[in-house]
Amino acid sequence: MPPVQATLTRRGALGGAAALALASCDGGDPPPTGAPRAGSGAGLLSSIVALEHAAIAAWAAIGEALRGDARHYARVIRGREIDNGERVAELVRKLGGTPPKTRPAADYARLFPRIGDEADALHFARDLEERLVRAYLEGLRLLPDAEQRRVTAEIAAEQAQDLAVVHALAGGPAAPQPFVTGTR
Amino acid sequence: MRPASRREVLREAAARLALAGGALGSAALAGGAFAGSALAADPSDADQLARLLALEHELAAAYEAALGRDAIEPALGKLLLAHEREHIRGLEQALGKRSPAKAGAPGVGIDFASRRAFARSALELERRTVDTYRDVLTTFHNDRLLQPLGSIMACGAQHEVALRRALGEDLL
Repeated sequence: MPPVQATLTRRGALGGAAALALASCDGGDPPPTGAPRAGSGAGLLSSIVALEHAAIAAWAAIGEALRGDARHYARVIRGREIDNGERVAELVRKLGGTPPKTRPAADYARLFPRIGDEADALHFARDLEERLVRAYLEGLRLLPDAEQRRVTAEIAAEQAQDLAVVHALAGGPAAPQPFVTGTR
Repeated sequence: MRPASRREVLREAAARLALAGGALGSAALAGGAFAGSALAADPSDADQLARLLALEHELAAAYEAALGRDAIEPALGKLLLAHEREHIRGLEQALGKRSPAKAGAPGVGIDFASRRAFARSALELERRTVDTYRDVLTTFHNDRLLQPLGSIMACGAQHEVALRRALGEDLL
């Protein structure tokens, strides 16, 4: 796998801004339209579903800027995000809620940084995956139900692996830190 | 001095684990881990931590032995071993005096015959450890420790990717 050496300059800043923008994706969605009880976790889970919708769109954009193995993994990871979003949406439905629907691709694209080359794409991917890891780890602490926590833990581990792949594609160690928190 | 209550012991354990490493502390603090959590006075939490600690000792012993036998690429082996030692430090501090003795002989069930054989068996042990963290996180009572434990689980999941990379296999 040819490493794509990333430079931590303007691109890093762009990625950071993108992560902030994506973080706002989950905050602007309406609460579930069903009637889950307060404290059931439906609100938080719906926020994660909205974030996954944004991530699916983001990985499509990232993949377009990558080639070879990296492009292959972008497709694989996007597929995993689709599965993850559906698993979390199912948890919302079990609570009697209606998970948020995806928005038109153009709505998400406006929030993404300009992706000029592979290094830009991998910076964006790293920030995105860190945001996802953080969301699921926060879910572990806040969700009240054992099944919700099991699903959240499983997906948190998968997101950490996706982040590891991004590290590897950028030419670094897959597991650079002893504690993966979704923050740097 | 009055003896500490179980609630106090658990609160202290949470603080120790949260402060065990910079990132671990950040995880706990960023998540508001010390604010109004419902500490459950359940002895099973300590048992669960001890179970995780035993697995981390097993992993550390495996990487240490592999480095000594040249059964892993040195840079990778040193990195993974350093991570396992950090995990052990955090878990031991969380358990405090209740921390069990260090695990026994290293490398039980681990194949050191070649780098490839070792990577394969280490991958299996990492996978088993991540599965155990997932099970523990599902049933753990002390919500202050959920995020820090999750951050260790996430690291273990990344170790799987690192080992698959060493094996030249598909990363996911």
